[in-house]
Amino acid sequence: MEFLQHFGGVFEPLSFMLLLGGTIGGLILGATPGLSPTMAVALLIPFTFQLPATQGLILLGAAYTATVAGGAVSAILLKIPGAPANIATSLDGHAMASTGRGTQALHVSFLASGVGGVVGVLLLIFLTPVLSRWALAFGPSHLFWMAILGVTVIGSLDSRSFVKGLLSGCLGLWLSMIGYDDIQGAQRFIFHDSLTGGVNIITALIGIFAIPQVIEMLARGRCEHKVSTVSVHRQSLLESLKLLLANGRALSIGTFVGSIIGLIPGVGGQIAGLLAYDQTRKFSNDPDSFGKGNPAGVIAAESANNAMVGPSLVPLLTLSIPGSPTAAVLLGGLLIHGIFPGSDLFDNYPDVAWTFINSMLIGQILMVIFGIWVASHAARVAHVPPPIMAAAVTILALFGSYSVQQSMGDVYIMLALGVGMYLLEKVGFSAAPLVLGLILGPIAEANFIQGSMIANAMNGPAEYFLSGTLNLLLLILVLASIGWSFFSTHLANRRARNLSNTAEVSLES
Amino acid sequence: MRKRYIGTALLAVSTLLGTTQTMADDYPERPVSLMVSYGAGGATDFQARLVSMMANNENYLGEPIVVINKPGAGGRVGWNWFASDAEADGYTLAAYNVPHFIAQSIEGGVRYDADSFEPIANWGADPAVVVVAADSEFNSIQELLAYAVENPGKVTVSGAGLYVGHHIAALQIQKAIGGKLAYIPTKGGGAAAMKAVIAGNVVAGINNLSDAYRAREAGNVKILAVADTQRSEQFLPDVPTLMEAGYEVDNASVNYRGFMVPAGTPTSVIDFLASRVPEMFSDPKVAEQMAAGGSGVQVMSREEVHAMWAARQETLNDLLANL
Amino acid sequence: MNPDTAESMPLSRVQHLVPAAAVLALALIVAWVSFTREPSEAFLFPRMIASVMLLLALWNFIRASLGLARVGDGLTRKGVGAITPGLCVIVLLVYVAARYLGFYSASWLAFLSIYSLYDPASHTLFAVWVKRVLITTAFLSVIYALFSLLLQVQTPRGLFI
Repeated sequence: MEFLQHFGGVFEPLSFMLLLGGTIGGLILGATPGLSPTMAVALLIPFTFQLPATQGLILLGAAYTATVAGGAVSAILLKIPGAPANIATSLDGHAMASTGRGTQALHVSFLASGVGGVVGVLLLIFLTPVLSRWALAFGPSHLFWMAILGVTVIGSLDSRSFVKGLLSGCLGLWLSMIGYDDIQGAQRFIFHDSLTGGVNIITALIGIFAIPQVIEMLARGRCEHKVSTVSVHRQSLLESLKLLLANGRALSIGTFVGSIIGLIPGVGGQIAGLLAYDQTRKFSNDPDSFGKGNPAGVIAAESANNAMVGPSLVPLLTLSIPGSPTAAVLLGGLLIHGIFPGSDLFDNYPDVAWTFINSMLIGQILMVIFGIWVASHAARVAHVPPPIMAAAVTILALFGSYSVQQSMGDVYIMLALGVGMYLLEKVGFSAAPLVLGLILGPIAEANFIQGSMIANAMNGPAEYFLSGTLNLLLLILVLASIGWSFFSTHLANRRARNLSNTAEVSLES
Repeated sequence: MRKRYIGTALLAVSTLLGTTQTMADDYPERPVSLMVSYGAGGATDFQARLVSMMANNENYLGEPIVVINKPGAGGRVGWNWFASDAEADGYTLAAYNVPHFIAQSIEGGVRYDADSFEPIANWGADPAVVVVAADSEFNSIQELLAYAVENPGKVTVSGAGLYVGHHIAALQIQKAIGGKLAYIPTKGGGAAAMKAVIAGNVVAGINNLSDAYRAREAGNVKILAVADTQRSEQFLPDVPTLMEAGYEVDNASVNYRGFMVPAGTPTSVIDFLASRVPEMFSDPKVAEQMAAGGSGVQVMSREEVHAMWAARQETLNDLLANL
Repeated sequence: MNPDTAESMPLSRVQHLVPAAAVLALALIVAWVSFTREPSEAFLFPRMIASVMLLLALWNFIRASLGLARVGDGLTRKGVGAITPGLCVIVLLVYVAARYLGFYSASWLAFLSIYSLYDPASHTLFAVWVKRVLITTAFLSVIYALFSLLLQVQTPRGLFI
């Protein structure tokens, strides 16, 4: 219970001001398209130069928590996921918003984030020594299987056509290989100069999700619209709270998956939301309602995203290994104050370490409060007429994709991907599997190549990739996931056939 | 009356237009970007942010330096962009990593070589070190390399990528022992390579001194040797150099980091930067923060960097020609 | 606006077959590039992906030519007609104006053009134009404050910023 002694540090005037500022600033930065949590935290590092170590870390901790949750705002209202973590949120969140439940979507998203986040930080507080061993258990072969497990989710992300879903995933995997190969340094598929840097994931997210959205608005032409893109009716917080509690299963699946996946260095954050979403859908009584505005989708995705934050710092704080890019930036924030994280961090700098962790705990709660306040203003977005909305999303997409690496090439890629995705969606391909392929391709490839190189120095690839409990466990999960996808599409097809049969019968009679 | 309006309008337009002509005199008049060809949070990114934090000071640039990350393929993506797309107006600087970019240009497949860039100043030197996990059976560099000679190709060694300092060190060690190591390049830089060592995925690793020092402080690794001509008195006085241990490995793999601009940048801008930037690197506040992070500072002037680049080019030409 | 009714409308045969053929062509190109380029170690993974992609694209094409699984809404003449001017504005401004006028000026023009092109209000009223310019300027000011002042993003400069 040592952490309780250090709660006082959080409530000192300057610390609390920073916590508040970090949370509000983090929400705004997180909601800005193109600014991933990693970039937001990196941008704040210079500010912490001037602060004492504890206060600097409070600012960084609060900003990290809030940016992860803030990404949900643009994912729900504009269908622009701010970071890979928010893709799953936008699937059902935006569908909810376009049917008049935007406020509710934001409410449950922030509440679920808060629950997941608090559980994640509590895990960090109580189970760090146990968890750190788990984080190291994943070698290249396991990470490869993890990525493949992520790929199998593709089959269940698209309910319209199984083949086109898989094909979309393959397109994404191929897009991820464009540019220089990261390990060998060979040039691959560089058909145009702006492709030398490859397809940046944030750029791709903006293009693939925001541009089809803009084109859809333009397609309605220049006429009086009574239907706006997003409508928000008054929804009370109490109702949203009830909705959250009614979806306890989604909340627990999200929190559980997020905390477990968050621990794994190198994979965690990006796919936690999607894996949780997929699991919730598989366990649901009504899987067809996902993607059409089921709050359970938002709850699972957002609780997983924030549950991941706490555990993702375990390898950093105990082993000095940054498990994610954001953790690497936070490491910088520690180093400039001469603090070396490691097993003795909690002995040498208990006040710094505990105040940092406590600030994330309080930050989660502040984030929920301000998030709900933001949600109450979301109604304003609803009153924006479609032409202004289309123009605004276009400009945000341009600036968002440009500012990731300050490169015009990225803007061209963003536009090309966006227009391409619009056409593909019109003929039955889908964005979510494509993006999943784009994210998982490099992880799968790098670990496969690395694993094979290590295996060649040992006893060959077959033994390296297929022996050991963890490898087998992951392999079974992969097979189960594929099997379930086939089984459930088979079921769905039969149900659809029965339905159409009865429909035809009723027509004929 | 009307004339005055036109006059004001012309003045407004000319202030909007007048960006390029008068540039050299009042450079810099807006924030300067610094391109880092590795991801946020890596050693190069972290140090670049530290050494440029004082840029806003009137004695240095008088304008802030903003770091942009263009990571990918061991730095090739960023430097390619810098050589072919960056404007040579002094508002886009880049961090260089030697021997990385020189080795890559010798290996081919990139759009730059040492002549594509003009050095400004060097801020740091980070030698490569050989590490093993804390619970490894190897306690000295001799034990490890003797084992490698007996078991060619069986000793897996992780490093940050191909044709970066770590890889150069591995090649030099191979040449010195006349044996073969299984060099495993990782995606995700030095941190991922270090994780592979700590988790026991590989037998040994070659990593940055600064990261290895930190990992040793945390009790995760043993540092067996430094690939430099002299010991690191500041951080690792007890660790021998490879040379002392009896292996013919010099300082060709030491990771030098500094600022550069694209070739073709106006001489007045280069001169301005070359006079101000080394002073900025030597600022006591910078030195203090760098030392706190375990990063070695070595400030070198433009002329010294020129000489260092030329020397590396020669060594690497020989080393890589034998592959 | 029920999404179910929109989905149950089958795609026309041509709109179903042409994309399937296009994706098959792309898969063929990807496979050809993957299997002919060197070094082969760097193309190991692309070869695996390309093989799976080719197989799926072939399967998809066969299904398409049999008229199976016509999912998606397809494009309508009216929709394409409505999209074209807006898309032209975006492409023109990104590829041309951003370079010669500067990023902010191009964005200002793009916002104003898209807004005006699709705004149902009359184009001849002075007050309407004042409102359009004001909203555009206000939005771009917020963007400028966020990206240029707070985040210090350096955007391409042309004649203006």
